[in-house]
This record gives sequence, C-alpha cells and structure tokens, in this order.
Amino acid sequence: MHNNMSHCIDINSPYCPCLLADTNHCVSCSRLQGKETCDCNWAGVCVMYEKHWQPKKHTSRGGEGTVVRVEVETEYQVIQQINQDTYRLEFNLPDDFAKSLDKAGSFIFMRKPGDPDFYHFPVGIMKVNQNKIQVVVEAVGPKSRRILTSGDTNLLVRGPYFNGVLGQPWIDNTENSRILLVAGGMGQAPALAIASKLMKKNNKVTALLAPGYTGEIFVDIELIELGIEVENVVSMRRSGISRLTCLFADHDLVVSAGPDEQHYGVIDAMALAGVNLPMAATNNATMCCGEGICGSCQKETSDNRFIRTCKVQTNFMNLVRD
Amino acid sequence: MVKVVVAGGGWAGCAAALSAAKAGADVMLIERTDLLLGTGLVGGIFRNNGRYTAAEESIAMGGGDLFVVMDANSRHRGISFPGHNHASLYDVTTMEPLVKKVLQNYNIEIKTKVRVVDVIKYGKIIKSIVLDDDTVVHGDAFIDTTGSAGPMGNCLTYGNGCAMCILRCPAFGPRISLTAKAEVKEIMGRKADGSYGAMSGSCKLNKDSLSLEIREQLESTGVVVLPLPEAIQKTGTLDKKACSQYAVKEYAANLILLDTGHAKLMTSYFALDDLRTIPGLERARYEDPYAGGLGNSMRYLGIAPCNNFLKVEGVDNLFCAGEKSAVLVGHTEAIVTGLLAGHNAVRHCLDMQYLEIPSTLVIGDFIAYVHEKMATEEGLRLRYTFSGSVYFERMKSLELYSTNRSVIKERVGNERLTDIYNTCLV
Repeated sequence: MHNNMSHCIDINSPYCPCLLADTNHCVSCSRLQGKETCDCNWAGVCVMYEKHWQPKKHTSRGGEGTVVRVEVETEYQVIQQINQDTYRLEFNLPDDFAKSLDKAGSFIFMRKPGDPDFYHFPVGIMKVNQNKIQVVVEAVGPKSRRILTSGDTNLLVRGPYFNGVLGQPWIDNTENSRILLVAGGMGQAPALAIASKLMKKNNKVTALLAPGYTGEIFVDIELIELGIEVENVVSMRRSGISRLTCLFADHDLVVSAGPDEQHYGVIDAMALAGVNLPMAATNNATMCCGEGICGSCQKETSDNRFIRTCKVQTNFMNLVRD
Repeated sequence: MVKVVVAGGGWAGCAAALSAAKAGADVMLIERTDLLLGTGLVGGIFRNNGRYTAAEESIAMGGGDLFVVMDANSRHRGISFPGHNHASLYDVTTMEPLVKKVLQNYNIEIKTKVRVVDVIKYGKIIKSIVLDDDTVVHGDAFIDTTGSAGPMGNCLTYGNGCAMCILRCPAFGPRISLTAKAEVKEIMGRKADGSYGAMSGSCKLNKDSLSLEIREQLESTGVVVLPLPEAIQKTGTLDKKACSQYAVKEYAANLILLDTGHAKLMTSYFALDDLRTIPGLERARYEDPYAGGLGNSMRYLGIAPCNNFLKVEGVDNLFCAGEKSAVLVGHTEAIVTGLLAGHNAVRHCLDMQYLEIPSTLVIGDFIAYVHEKMATEEGLRLRYTFSGSVYFERMKSLELYSTNRSVIKERVGNERLTDIYNTCLV
C-alpha cells in the first residue's frame, strides 16, 4: 500500500506521461525529473519508456501532442434543489467518458461554453448511471454561480480527473471488511460514489451523516438502498465526532467525506479513542488546472515534501494542517 | 546476535549472505524477483582462465560452498573455446534451487518478491531499511548487492531499450540501490567511446530451436563454433560489450555457442533475421533476453565507491559486492567479493579489524588493482575479470595465475587465511 500511497494517480493511465514529463517535472520518474540515472520506486510500466513511445503513438493518431483530457459540451438538468444555492444536476456524457468517471474520487471541471478557461471549477462525481452523470453544485462563488444563474443550461465538461480522494488505494483494495463512512455537508456527494464502490467489494459499511453547511442530509435514502447502515446526526462538530469514538472499535477503515475540519476531527477522535485505523479522506484542495502545473493545490507533507494534490496520492494524515 | 541484511540475491548477495552466516551473523537476504542468482540464472561460465585460481583460493579460504554446488551441477568441465581454457559450464536451468538449499542450510532468511525502497540513516550509520510493504527491517550491517544493471529507463537511454532480460524489471519493479538511497554518489562505468554503461555480453538461444546436429555437438562437447557469413559479421559492437574477455576478434568472425542448459551465444545481441541465415539456426529463437534480436541489459550504471574492505565510502555500516563494488564481470568475481563483504560486515558489528586480502593472493590483488584503476577516467572504460582482458594479463605477468590446487592452497596458508571464512567470529 505504501507505494500506491505516494504515487501519481495518473501513472500508467492513458494520461501518462503528461505535460509534466515534457519539462522534467514528472512526479515519479527521476529521468523525467532531469536526473542522469533511474531512481524510481514504481513497480509498474516504466514512465520513461512510455514517454519514449509517446511520439510514435501519436504519429499514428495524426501527430497530436501529449494526451490531454477531453472537453465536451452538454446540457444539464436540475433534478433536485437541496437548499437555496445547492443543486443536484444531471447531464449526459459520451459513453467512454462517463465510464471513466465511474471510480471513487473521480471529478471533472465545468464551465459555461464561451466563458474564458479560468472560469472552470472542479466538481466531484456523485453518481454514474450508464452515460448519465450526477453532481452536486453549491452556487456560491463566481464560477459556480455563472452556471446556474445565466438562464441557459449549456455546460462544458472537462475530464476525467481522479485524485478526489486521498488514500484512494484503500478504497480500491479493501474487501470483505468493515468500513466507517463519515460524511458531512457537500461531502455527501462523493460519499455516495465511494459507498457504491465499497459495497461492490462485499464490505460492510456504516455511515454517519451530518447536514453540515448545506443544511440537508440528501444521500441517506440512497445509502440505505445500497444496504448501508445509516446514522444521522444534527451536527458533526457537536455530536457526530463524539459518536465516532464509540464506532471505531468495530471497523477496519475510516473514510471521511467532507471539509478538512471534519477530517481533522476524525483524526483527533481516533487519537482520543486510542485507535489507528487507515483513513481515506476527500481532497478539498483549491484546484485550478488539475494537471499538476499551476500549483494551487500544493500541500506540504510531514516529511517536508510539497505535493500537488490534484495528481499525487498521499495519506491525508501525513499532510501538514493548514 | 549481530544482524546482517543483504539486499540483492544475485551471486554476490548469495555469497555475502553465506559468509556473514558462516561468521556467525543472523542473516536476511532480500531479492525483488522470485528467483535468486540474478544474471547467474543465464550465465554459467566459471573456472575459465584465471577464474580457476580465484575459485580455488576461495575454497582454500573456506568459502567454497557455492563453487562446490556449481562444480556438482556442471554440464561440462575443462572445455576450451577461443581465448579460454579449462572452463566449466554449470546448468543454468537447475542451479537456483540448489543455491537456495545451501543458503537455507545456513539458516539464512530468504525473502523473495520483496523490494527495498528506502534506508533510514542516522548520521553515517544505516539503522534500518524500508521494504515495499512499509515494513522496517533493522540491522547492524547492510550489504548492497543490488548490482548496476537496468532498470528500463537506463537501458533505454544508454542501450537499445528494455530487451526483456532475466532481471524482469517490468514485472518485479526497478533495481533500487541502497547506496543511492543512503545518499552516496555512485560511479558510472563507461564504454570505450566514453558513453555511459555497457551492454551485457551474451544472449541465450533456446536449444530446442537449433538443428539436431548443433544440439548434439553442444551436448557432447559443450562448444560449437559457427563461422559467420561475411555479410553479417558485426563490426564496431565489440567495444560496447560488458564482457571484454569475449570482445576478441574470433567473436566477431564466428558465432560461439556454449551449452549452459540454454545455448549461450557469445554476443550482446544479434538480429534474428541475420541469425536465421546461418545453417542450423533457421528456426532459432531467444531464451534470454527475449528481445535478444534488439539489445541486452545495460550495466555499470550505479557502482558504489568503496575501499578494499568493500565498505562503501561515507556510510560506516554499508558494504557492497559484485558489480556494485567495481566494474567487474562474472559469477566468480561476484562470489569472491561477496564473501569478503559478508565477512567484513560481521567484523564491523564486532568492532574487529577488517579483513583485507593481501596482494600476494589473486583476489586481493584483483580488488586493489580494480579500485586503483577505477580512480582514472580510462580505468572506468575497462572491464575487470580473472578470465581475460587487462587483469588476466596482469595475473600472468605477476605469476599469480595457477591451476595447481596445492600451490594455491599453500599461498593461502602462507598468508594465514586458510579457512578464514569458516571461522565463526561471533
């Protein structure tokens, strides 16, 4: 698990090697960081090798550059207004794009067609059903409000991106175990995607839900339908965290979906209860490009490395608290 | 009890683990693939030329266990082929389990499919190493026998790409150097033209793919020499080879096959279409590397700077052997350095004076000479082996070369080193 924990989420995917490899900033490969010899730790297909083949791959496809994410135009539908500013949206995407998003921690960037690039903002995927995608958007900032208040329902969607959950290898690789899912506020949306993945691996999941700033619990019925034991609390801060200390004992993994304060609360509660469970946590970093280039999502780890959390996996507990 | 951890299960690592165990240490041997011996799984040649002397010296010093199993598992003994005399060829297809058995008999803990990914260092001492599953293994001394070949990125830049050799980096992950992780700057060997690295010197053909005649001759005599049609004689490739003892004219004008279980082909790589124009090889295919028509593994891309005790410079409790310790070629060279590194690792733990083999013995002279030469730019372009090239010439001129067992035994006795490796120090 250690190896997966600190690797680039895109390694060996169709999006690897990426633009970072062109400028000697690859996350994994020492050669693609400009060093003279190999010094990597990746037991998969050599990134340097993939880079070597890349130009050849591309001539056959008509000389494109490095693979970038697709951007498609679609139209959304509001299927639920959760509160005054929060909406659950649904839209169609091409089949393979939709399928690639059916993964815990996947997210997309959205903006209105015609708006400048810098209007796009990241949104975590809540549900994928065939080629129908559901997301929850809180229209509070200048970017998200553009989409919901301008009258037309056209949408530009770019993706797929995958690093929405730090500690994702735990979610992909945990089977036949007991998992505690803690979700608050907007974190309920990715929690649904994570829960449906966990249930496919024959896990027993207990969910603790709180309305958070959203003011509503909106995934409880869907979680119960998945076969999850759901417990609702009025406030995570006031009652949820203390309830957690009693729940840890029976579980093998904690997944925290919500704001960073909630993640910290879960970590502190574990310390208080004297347990040390592995933890996966939603990635709340501010993201602008999603490609590891702009640096807005950069965080410091306890061993003094700076990682760009839009691409690089880490254990949330290793991040220095903001 | 002193604990010695050996990273890398090739011949050097096996020998180091063995001598550390014989000296009384609790030994763990870590290998990233599922097989020990590394390139020893496809090599097979020993006791040729000066290697005979070195092997006999090791036996006299009490470190003969591995040579005994090699001898016992030889397909051919005392054969000659161009430039080489009294060679033995061990059976590469059955060697590994025998070596594993020998090591297990000494209670060495062998961990396969486990990779060392980092070291934990306090000042100039390595406290422990980190394995790929996050386990931390403590030790009193460590031996780096991770070699210097590959991984894929190096083979691509300095060679012709990954040729799918026995090291199997794509499947088991890259070589990770303990020395590099301990922040010691490594040395890179060079080709004669000054570029970095060198290509492994031989390929293996699948014996069943050869004609019946060639197969029968191989099995009975051990050697087949096939003259190469002039049109496909390679020129300019000899100086790129790692094994300079085979980089002689005969090897460019002829195709030399040796029976090591596979048909060992004494060239780095050879285009398959050309190979199949030679009578008897019409159906030939490669056994190792699988893409032997295109290239071979690249070596000498991470040599640890070390002294004649084989202690790595800059780290107090890290030792090295085999290709990791110098621009060496061959199983015998790996074993003799491995034995010394393992022995000295135990001496380190017990605060004893290190063993340095005197230059009156071929092994001692070899280690000292190679390290002296490697300090120079030209020296990094040469390869060192008991079996040929510059060092065999030196052996002969210093009268160190001998095939007389009692003479070699007496020399070891004169230095009071008889059975030194058999002495339990703890």
